[in-house]
Amino acid sequence: MPAARFQGTLEQVDETCFRIPRSYMPGMRVEGLIYADERLIEEVKSGQAPQQVANVAYLPGIQMASLAMPDIHWGYGFCIGGVCATDPEQDGVISPGGVGYDINCGVRLVRTGLAESEVTGRLKGLVDELFRSIPTGVGRTGKYSFSHQELKRMMSEGVSFLRGRGLATDDDVEFTEARGCIEDAEPECVSERALERGTRQCGTVGSGNHFVEVQVVDEVVDEAAAAAFGLKRGMVCVLIHSGSRGLGYQVCDDALRALRDTPARYGVELPDRQLVCAPIKGPEGRQYLGSMRSAANFAFCNRQLIMWQTREVFERFFGRSWQQLEMELVYDIAHNIAKFEEHLIEGRRKRVCVHRKGATRAFPPGHPELPARYRPVGQPVMIPGDMGRASWVLAGAPGSMLKTFGTTCHGAGRAMSRTASVKAARGRRIDRELLEAGIIARARSHRGLAEEQPAAYKDVDLVVDVVHKAGLSTKVARMRPIGVIKG
Amino acid sequence: MFEFFGHTADLGLRVTAPDLESLLAEAARGLLAMLVDNPQQVQVTSTVEVKISGQDPVYLLFDFLSELLVIFDTRHLLLADFEVEVSGDGLHARARGEQLDPARHRLAHEVKAITYHGLKVEKTDDGWLAELIVDI
Repeated sequence: MPAARFQGTLEQVDETCFRIPRSYMPGMRVEGLIYADERLIEEVKSGQAPQQVANVAYLPGIQMASLAMPDIHWGYGFCIGGVCATDPEQDGVISPGGVGYDINCGVRLVRTGLAESEVTGRLKGLVDELFRSIPTGVGRTGKYSFSHQELKRMMSEGVSFLRGRGLATDDDVEFTEARGCIEDAEPECVSERALERGTRQCGTVGSGNHFVEVQVVDEVVDEAAAAAFGLKRGMVCVLIHSGSRGLGYQVCDDALRALRDTPARYGVELPDRQLVCAPIKGPEGRQYLGSMRSAANFAFCNRQLIMWQTREVFERFFGRSWQQLEMELVYDIAHNIAKFEEHLIEGRRKRVCVHRKGATRAFPPGHPELPARYRPVGQPVMIPGDMGRASWVLAGAPGSMLKTFGTTCHGAGRAMSRTASVKAARGRRIDRELLEAGIIARARSHRGLAEEQPAAYKDVDLVVDVVHKAGLSTKVARMRPIGVIKG
Repeated sequence: MFEFFGHTADLGLRVTAPDLESLLAEAARGLLAMLVDNPQQVQVTSTVEVKISGQDPVYLLFDFLSELLVIFDTRHLLLADFEVEVSGDGLHARARGEQLDPARHRLAHEVKAITYHGLKVEKTDDGWLAELIVDI
């Protein structure tokens, strides 16, 4: 179903922001604000994502505005790139559609002490070894298996659970968002079926847009922040993108099913049934929050185990320990999550539930939740682009606290549907094209590569320009891909 | 009969059949074709029974395909052949297929979930039509 063009009002606020006024639809409790510039807004208007921004403004308890980041595109209920904060003291709701199916999908960046020149000649071997050792794609199970009891402990304790098993270090915990554990997870709220799907999937990448990518720091824009993050030009890094796998999808599926009739029961009228939601303080809301946080902690552990396997591959391949190779975690961040945070709203400090669906936390310098090492420069934000062009490392900036509940963008955003990408790739070998551009790509299926080809995505540089100019997060370093494994 | 259609980051499935039972069976074959590129290579060596309670054809379709997805995700069973009966109690299906074998089956998509967006099952002049979008 080709989405129709958005016909509503979009007023330009400034160079990087457009407004959907409350008058657009009678049920909007707040206005909608989309961060984009003139280059990006035309594409945004070509679909129904702005309508979704307006729909979210119906949610009870929503604060300030229904927001969208410049990588906005259509999603289920909420658009991808959507941000919304709700106040539990004002009958605020939690909505599974504001988090997404892949709960705590996110990215993690690992730096190494290796220079590009030490890897170039041996890159093919390294990528092949990563592809052999780290499970990617559908139906591939990992080398780790956890009983339901162990999974419940993992979901309650987060990455610290793995530290207890010798699969994570103190620093790995320290440099993960929320120290790798969202508090108040309630594994008892997670269904048996979800546990069943999670048993063999912790430590697996999955497919779709998930990957493990070997990158080189191509350009440093902010020397001080880059130094704090331990990054310098020419350095080899690894970027990991994955989430909570089947366990998280099932938690979302269970919640959507359980909440089918909840809005009507509370007298909440919604313009789209995929915005199903429940009051944060009610039993249905608490149930979802307990299971969502559990899935989020599972996802932190999943990325931790993918990183652990990456370290093992590098150890075998280079014949040195990962500590000698200086494979330290720079940071791990979620981009599909709902979290309680304190924000200054209309002059009052409030504890609100911030939904980020395809959007990344970007706390500015000085924020108390940041590791001491990053407090002077702001939180690292990793923005994966496509596998042919670039990714970015940004630092959280003060504008995010003023404008977007401490949030910035999460990626490039798709420009082409999967079927259109496959059509556009017909008769081509995307892996060979990438090879000509100096990038070694390994995927389980040619179709997967065709669907994820660089042209299927918007140019990440344009997206990053907007959040930089808007003061939500600032450019630190541009990363160039040299090898990638996918599903 | 089934065909795929594009939907931004995800994939849609359109199914037509003369009656509701064959519509559900055909949708299940469509799901298999989303999971593997060569569904004709799936042999039918084992059988599973699937029961879904309910009346609403929309939720029968949704719950049936979701169940098949979980069977694939947890037991790695590719199901290719379906006998579906719909009665007052709901849906009862006998599904046949085999264990995933990466050497023979070319995996295509990881389907995260069946979604409610644009989900429809309706009677047409010459049979039944279903449309659904899966999250990839």
